[in-house]
Amino acid sequence: MKERREEKFSSDLVSDLYTNLLKGIWESVSALIGEAILALLFNLAIRKIGERYSLLKSLKVSEEGLALEEVKKSCRNLPPAEIHRGFQSLINELSHLFSELTEGVITKELLPKVLPKVREAERMVLKK
Amino acid sequence: MEFITFKDLNKLRSIINAISTSVEVKGIIDSAGTTLPSLFDFAAFGVLWKEGPTLYVFQEESCPSAFTQEVVQNMLKVYSILGEEPIGMERVALQVEKKKLRSKQKVMDPQASVKSHLTLPLVIEGEIIGCISITSDQANMYNVPRLQFFSVFGYQMAASLKHIQRLSTVKKEAFYDTLTNLFNRRHFEERLSAETQKAFEGRSNLSVIMVDIDHFKKVNDTFGHDGGDKILREIASLLKNSVRQHDTVARYGGEEFVLLLPGVPLDSTNMVAERIRRLVEDTLFDMGPTQIHVTISLGISNFPIHRVKSKEELVKMADLALYEAKKGGRNRVCIFKG
Repeated sequence: MKERREEKFSSDLVSDLYTNLLKGIWESVSALIGEAILALLFNLAIRKIGERYSLLKSLKVSEEGLALEEVKKSCRNLPPAEIHRGFQSLINELSHLFSELTEGVITKELLPKVLPKVREAERMVLKK
Repeated sequence: MEFITFKDLNKLRSIINAISTSVEVKGIIDSAGTTLPSLFDFAAFGVLWKEGPTLYVFQEESCPSAFTQEVVQNMLKVYSILGEEPIGMERVALQVEKKKLRSKQKVMDPQASVKSHLTLPLVIEGEIIGCISITSDQANMYNVPRLQFFSVFGYQMAASLKHIQRLSTVKKEAFYDTLTNLFNRRHFEERLSAETQKAFEGRSNLSVIMVDIDHFKKVNDTFGHDGGDKILREIASLLKNSVRQHDTVARYGGEEFVLLLPGVPLDSTNMVAERIRRLVEDTLFDMGPTQIHVTISLGISNFPIHRVKSKEELVKMADLALYEAKKGGRNRVCIFKG
């Protein structure tokens, strides 16, 4: 019982960490390329990675921004490692799209913000 | 770190202003290609426009052709990554324009290759209508402020192109019948006004042929409305291909068509009408598992022979002649007899 509660606690932590990270990516990149293009790129990445990690299908993105409540709910019943892998793949796919479009311009801006957070999530999952 | 200056903002404003005032796609691309070098250093600027599709490349005069190819490949690749159906080079209409963008000292190396680029989709209301790209033969040419400028420019470009696309749709819908692609009745009336005025003033010939498909209801009843529509489209195409380019062929309504032939005397109009009648009679229309014959009836009127005083009268007389052709047994041409 205690173990399950701990896992749920850490699932919440990992999902919070990643949803905050996605919010950060949205804020940084929308300032560079605008909301319409960014929403399109997010949706492309979600469509592709969502095939492997269905939790991402509940992540809704429009020009207004990210709707994260549903995806947070989906994360509650998943092990932290699965959440980590899903979000990590999504961020990798977004980075790939950014690189294809603007080579290093967006990625250089994002790297210092994204990498430490992904490492933090990795540490959380490994500790578990 | 490069900062955005007031001068840069003014340049961006001028670029946006230049592309917003254009009323055709080529005008937008030309304005962009001419004004962009004030804000960006590039060897090539490309616009992939979904309609067509067409790829416009505006590039430095000394750009080697291998570089152009790289630009093209890169844009097509990014476009397919954006989730759009991949387009092969063979499907794209390529329009390359070379301009002197650089001083003599900075002429491009014949071996130059793409070292940096910014490529962005043209997005409007969630739809990708193409993409734009600036490309350089120098590494690390673009940074955050340039990307921000380029994205602002891209949004304006997308809005302007979409506006032109909408205008052209509205224009098309105002002039054409959507089923047959012939002129619609409204446009026919406009052409008729202009042509009658010209003919009345110059005492020159103007003929009208009214055409009606015989027993069209039977076609609809037997083959359904899809079958009926197919016949309408094919006969429309036969009519269009049977007259000169400056003649007007329009769908008058239902299964009725009208032809306006400026400068054609009555006897020649009769020959044209008879040729069309025979052509339709001899055509086998493919209706899926079966093939059918269809016939048409035609009525002719002419100025000055029929001494009409108005455009309405000219059409009325052709219509009465058509009625005679129907009454006389169909599949025939009748000239108005006063």
